[in-house]
Amino acid sequence: MTFVIRMALREIRASWRRLLFFFVCVAVGVGAIVALRSIIQSMRTGLAHEARALVGADVAILTSRAWTPEVRRDLDARLADAPILARQELIETPTMVRPETGQGAAIAKMVELLAVQPAYPFYGRIVLQDGRPYSYDLLRDHGVLVRPELLAQLGVRAGDTLVIAGRPFTIRGVISQEPGRRVGAFSFGSRVIVGYDDFQATGLLSFGSRASYQILLRVRDDGVTPLVTTLRREFRDRFVGVRSYKSTEDQIGDDLMRAENYLSLVGFVILILGGIGVWSVTRVFVRQKIRSVAILKCVGATTAQVLSAYVVQVVFLGLAGSALGVALAKLAIVFLPAAVAVALGGVRYGLTASAVWQGVGVGVLVSLLFSLVPLLEVRRVRPLLLLRGGTGAAAADVLPSWWTAAGIAARLARIDWLQAGAAVFMSLALVAVAGWQASSLRAGLIVCGGFAAVTVVLHLASSGIVWAVRPAARARSFSLRHAVLSLGRPGNQTRVILLAVGLGSFFVIGVRAMQTNLLRQLTLELSGSGADMFLIEILPPQVDAMRAFLTPRKAPDAPDPRLVPVLRARVTGVRGRTVNLSSYEDVRARGSLAREYTITYRSELEPNEKVIAGRFWTGEPPLAENAQPAEVSIEKSLHVRFHIDVGDTVRFDIVGRPFEATVTSVREVQWSDARNGGFMFVFRPGPFARAPQTWIGIVKAPDDPTARGRLQRDLVERFPNVSVIDIREILMTVQRALDNVSLAISVVGGVAFFSGVLILIGAVAMTKFQRVYEAAILRTLGASTRMLGAMLAFEYAGLGLLAGVIGAAGALALTWAVTRQVLDIPWYPAPWTAAVGAAATTVLVAAVGVGASYDVLRRKPLATLRAE
Amino acid sequence: MIELQGISKTVPSGDASLTIVHPLDLRIDAGRVVAITGPSGSGKSTLLGLIAGLDAPSTGRVVIDGTDITALSEDALARFRGARIGFVFQFFHLLPSLTAWENVRVPLEIAGVSGASARADALLDEVGLSPRRHHYPSQLSGGEQQRVAIARALANDPPILLADEPTGNLDSATGRQVIDRLIDVNRRRGTTVVLVTHDAELAALAEVTVALRDGRIVSETAVSRAATS
Repeated sequence: MTFVIRMALREIRASWRRLLFFFVCVAVGVGAIVALRSIIQSMRTGLAHEARALVGADVAILTSRAWTPEVRRDLDARLADAPILARQELIETPTMVRPETGQGAAIAKMVELLAVQPAYPFYGRIVLQDGRPYSYDLLRDHGVLVRPELLAQLGVRAGDTLVIAGRPFTIRGVISQEPGRRVGAFSFGSRVIVGYDDFQATGLLSFGSRASYQILLRVRDDGVTPLVTTLRREFRDRFVGVRSYKSTEDQIGDDLMRAENYLSLVGFVILILGGIGVWSVTRVFVRQKIRSVAILKCVGATTAQVLSAYVVQVVFLGLAGSALGVALAKLAIVFLPAAVAVALGGVRYGLTASAVWQGVGVGVLVSLLFSLVPLLEVRRVRPLLLLRGGTGAAAADVLPSWWTAAGIAARLARIDWLQAGAAVFMSLALVAVAGWQASSLRAGLIVCGGFAAVTVVLHLASSGIVWAVRPAARARSFSLRHAVLSLGRPGNQTRVILLAVGLGSFFVIGVRAMQTNLLRQLTLELSGSGADMFLIEILPPQVDAMRAFLTPRKAPDAPDPRLVPVLRARVTGVRGRTVNLSSYEDVRARGSLAREYTITYRSELEPNEKVIAGRFWTGEPPLAENAQPAEVSIEKSLHVRFHIDVGDTVRFDIVGRPFEATVTSVREVQWSDARNGGFMFVFRPGPFARAPQTWIGIVKAPDDPTARGRLQRDLVERFPNVSVIDIREILMTVQRALDNVSLAISVVGGVAFFSGVLILIGAVAMTKFQRVYEAAILRTLGASTRMLGAMLAFEYAGLGLLAGVIGAAGALALTWAVTRQVLDIPWYPAPWTAAVGAAATTVLVAAVGVGASYDVLRRKPLATLRAE
Repeated sequence: MIELQGISKTVPSGDASLTIVHPLDLRIDAGRVVAITGPSGSGKSTLLGLIAGLDAPSTGRVVIDGTDITALSEDALARFRGARIGFVFQFFHLLPSLTAWENVRVPLEIAGVSGASARADALLDEVGLSPRRHHYPSQLSGGEQQRVAIARALANDPPILLADEPTGNLDSATGRQVIDRLIDVNRRRGTTVVLVTHDAELAALAEVTVALRDGRIVSETAVSRAATS
């Protein structure tokens, strides 16, 4: 045993420079795993403590429609039996605000308004920027608290007056922190807090308005779960949701756990890239060590002893690499930009013990697994080779062609079954490790399967390229000829380099191309004469006035503004030929069919619609107001997913009223042109004429920001209840979010690419001993440094080009799959991104290849030849 | 005692096969210095490799002190070599990553012998390399490397020392020193020394000379030590 450990240590001492690369490969992967896992775990610990603050109560009862007297009565009856300690209500709704006077008076902004009662908040606290404690007194008599960004947007200060729903409110404080605001949650605007009674007095909310009504409860701890269970059971069919801090805790926990596992999988992918580097280093290392192994065997060492010495060495290196990885992770977390930390929830970040152990464990495992197969070569080394003075590399016998029986037999006889078995074991173990990291065997299988597929593609591609460039071996240029020969030399690193760099460039180009696709889609939405401003909550009596107001103010050459009635409805049952859902319970079992739909009624098809089954009522008169059943046209996806068909009867709950309609047609909506309206359910006009409803306005506003601002301001002044959604602003928010996401993915992709480059450097360094010798011979025969340099440049540029092209092709396939299959938006191949990516990969690989071979070019031939 | 019984070696060469050593018998008594000579390609090194168990014969047996080594597994052979056979190569074959002293220690460590350090010191002293014990092979001359190799071959005090062209890579003066060292080992320890050489002058220093040609023994001559020294 002492021999094994001593030999391992001596080998590390002698070859640490060559093996440096081994543990850098491990370090990058382990660093990624530890850093990603630690960040998420810190977040989880930080946020789980705030679960009560996130809900704002022990139990929250929510609905998206105003409490009806019946629901309230039944709720109160239920709550009377429960151990309630305190109760309060709040309302949250998007609305418009504008300054009363001053330079910002020409602008109106959409905000997320929160109307609170004096007891707010039960948990967590509102922190004001100037450090004053929050109290409800600040909101009394039309006081308002706002976020700093709104001050900047509107050009107002504390003490100024904002107009909300036509009433003046005084800014009494600036919110720096509020309870319950979820990290990264999407919102229409910044938070504004007002008093509940003042808000009710504005009369902003009409029946059917888009708002969230909440009852917050403080409940004795043992009463939380029974209360939640009872409320959920009894009020589910009345569209009342119930949340408790416990369920939120679980949900945050689950979300973050999933995030942690998936991010760890990303780290694992990087580590696999590192593992490929480890494999390549070990392979070349073993080849260089063949003579030493033969000597050891000659002086009495058994195969097991020699193998153990190298395995111990690998474990040492794996541990050292993992330790370096942990240090890198620590550094990354220390230097985590403050802005990113805040965006991630503003908790304290540090390495967590479990992340460190997992990282180190996976690091050592991957080192062992990837070095096992090449290390087994040691078994085949015979001490006899010492008598022959050869390198011990197996003689390249000429085998019969592979498609003949003799050829197959000869190749089968050559297979080292133990090594093949080890390779199978390694693959299974990798699936297990990936499964462990993702906490899902399926995810592990998918990742490893993906890797295997990419490896096969790259392997075939590299065989293909070696074959395809063979004619160039007869090229006139000496350098080109030799570069081509080098690609196919025995023991070449073509495949390893292609795999490492190809995967890296696939990551980076893929992310960029995806981003280009999404942004292009969004910009397309904006360009042309498309509408870019949506008005919501228009009341039926305001429709004509609104049309008159908008028409002269729209963009000069834009079509007339469109006003569309909308109602909110849920499907509570379907009676049909192939599907029969008799209760809301049944509907809910069908998943998204149970969601709340926005519906409309009109007499014609829109330009982006076509009927694919049944008949639309174009040109027919409206139905009678009390016609039962009414007529409805459904979108194709409802037909495809839920098998609702022409002739079926669908039962709805429309703002509290049951309503039946017969499906008379199925429409296909061109969603890519959805600004003309995309509704899943369109009703034949008639029955809703007097139903509580609001209208939405769709208009293209002038491009000039001042004119847009003026339009919004006038609109809010004239119609205080109407909210404006400026698509341009939303688009900018989305673009910022997208930028952040793609930055994050780019960083991960960058790390992957960096590992690819590392592996490239390692592969170059590994084959250097062979090249140095060749270069020395060529030099003796009269080759110039320039010629040798050109040879290297041709070879690596060729490899780089291939890796880049494969990466780019993979990236295009990825974007195609995501855009067409997942997002269902048009695919844009992003040719420039792909071309620039492939070109950059070529240049980078050529530069790294030639740079890493610098001493091949520099070394004096005599010294090299003498050493051989 | 080393006994070769009907030993031969045939290797495939393309579609045909090539016999490097034709079936032969040879007996080497313990404590002798034997030189195997012959021109290039006569099968000398192959024969030595068969004696050391570095290669398996196509036919026949190699029996060393009553042990049929042709029947041993690869690992059993390694252990057998570690204990019974020292080997010196034409190309020295020191481990490049180890110092002279560590190279000598390796067989002792493999055998798990205690007092390895003291023994390595003594052996290096014996070959006159104590001052260079912490040098790496690349820092030693050819003659010095070969002396380290001899020290290493003697580490476990094997009864048999095999040397394949031990002077082949050395100038004649240094070569002579190395041969003297081997003969000295034989005299002081009674070690059986079998050396392969195509240098007639060196062969003349041995007690028995076995001449090979085309894989066959063409002559076996015993020379009295007194006559040569």
